[in-house]
Amino acid sequence: MAVEVNLAAQPQKGHVLAAWGLIGWRWIWRSPAAAIVPLLQPFFFLYFLHLISDPSYFPLQVAGAMIFSTQNIGSWCLSDSAVFRIELRLQDIFVASPHDKVRYLFGVAFSNIIPALPALVALGIILAMVTSVSLTAWLVIVACILIIWVLYSAIGIAVSSRLRSQREVWPVGNLIFTLLGILSPLYYPLSRLPPVWRELAQLLPATYAALLVQGSLGLEPATATSLAIDAGLLILSTAIGLALAWWLYQWRER
Amino acid sequence: MAFGLRWGGTGVFLATEIRVQFHEWLAIVTGTLTPGALLIFVAILAPELIAVTLIGSLVYSMFLIGQRVLNEAAYIRIDHKLNELYHASPLSPEAYFVGIAGGMLVAYLPPSLFVLAILEILHPLSFVAWLVLAACLLAVWAVSSTIGYVVSTLFKDMKTIWPYSALLTNLFGIVPPVFYPIRFVPTEWRSLVLLLPTSGAAVLVNSVAGLETISGNEAILAAAALAVESVAMFVFGIYWARRMARER
Repeated sequence: MAVEVNLAAQPQKGHVLAAWGLIGWRWIWRSPAAAIVPLLQPFFFLYFLHLISDPSYFPLQVAGAMIFSTQNIGSWCLSDSAVFRIELRLQDIFVASPHDKVRYLFGVAFSNIIPALPALVALGIILAMVTSVSLTAWLVIVACILIIWVLYSAIGIAVSSRLRSQREVWPVGNLIFTLLGILSPLYYPLSRLPPVWRELAQLLPATYAALLVQGSLGLEPATATSLAIDAGLLILSTAIGLALAWWLYQWRER
Repeated sequence: MAFGLRWGGTGVFLATEIRVQFHEWLAIVTGTLTPGALLIFVAILAPELIAVTLIGSLVYSMFLIGQRVLNEAAYIRIDHKLNELYHASPLSPEAYFVGIAGGMLVAYLPPSLFVLAILEILHPLSFVAWLVLAACLLAVWAVSSTIGYVVSTLFKDMKTIWPYSALLTNLFGIVPPVFYPIRFVPTEWRSLVLLLPTSGAAVLVNSVAGLETISGNEAILAAAALAVESVAMFVFGIYWARRMARER
């Protein structure tokens, strides 16, 4: 028997970020490895790169690891969103609730930045120890991290909405985020890349984030004009990426 | 029969797993991305190490098979809830473990053959080096499959498993000298890394391939550790599979 529910009489507002923040916190509290792995992940790569490359690249690699860690949040958003929908079958509840898809996106992204924060803070401390970081450079780093966080989380959630099985989560997430991580010059200067690859990398927002961060830290030669162009291209490529994610994102079943 | 092994259904389950995995071509392709990323880092930043990294990539790919066993076994048990059906069927627990590990080995071999072809072009291996490489890769597969299977049985949901899976592959594959030469490791740590199956295997192959020099004692230590670990772990995997079947 169907029951009439007066939706207007139900609560229409809630503390979305606080609720998702609690989910993020509970997740790392209940599964310590979930907190340890994101913390360690960038350091594994840094350790390897530190061994094989010229030590003068280390500050650049630490800054790159900060962007790489932020980019990886997208992969966790993809995995979380897929678990909520496919395994826990919670999507219908999200859709039926006053919690719309933009709040859902920010909620999942917010809950997933929590496990990444210790790594970002630790990398920030290391960066300050290995190179001089001005206030402007810190502002640029934080802005780039926020932009990459929103964009890659949106990509992760959008892609996740198209997955049909848990089995697809790992390969698809790995394909997208590892590939994007490799293509952008996060751990080396753009000039070290072969020409075709360099042009391909210039299509990616993370490349401009890396160039901005490297330029503002004085790790790579940059002028005020080139930094302004990089900032403009970062915003443009992020807007295109968000539009694509919005188009791909399937909030409710058709 | 108490201690005897029952292998009923091994062939069928192995064939099933191979078929299932070949349908997951995306997973096979993406399995190459992390070693691919490290190969690219080396090609750009230290091209002189590329042969060592290619051998490391082969060893890492074998270790990654364990991660795939972990995901697959967890997926069968948690998501598909097929374990009880398997336990009730004539398929024996040992056949289940060997079938899943063998299926992954066959399915994930093609990308490794591609890496092997590149290695053969850049740094041709002698017959002995081929034999050592094959033996070492099989030993790493035995260890990683067991770790993957045992870890998969310890969790109740897929989401909890992923971080552990990533942690294991990084701790065994990226931190020790698998993708880089053992000469980069401080002397006091050399014996320890030779005891690890991944770095032990990589160092042995690099040494036989003439890519780095280790002492006779170090070679014996690495070879003995790898042999003991692979046999002991694989036997433990079979024991664990039987134990898991008994408890449910």
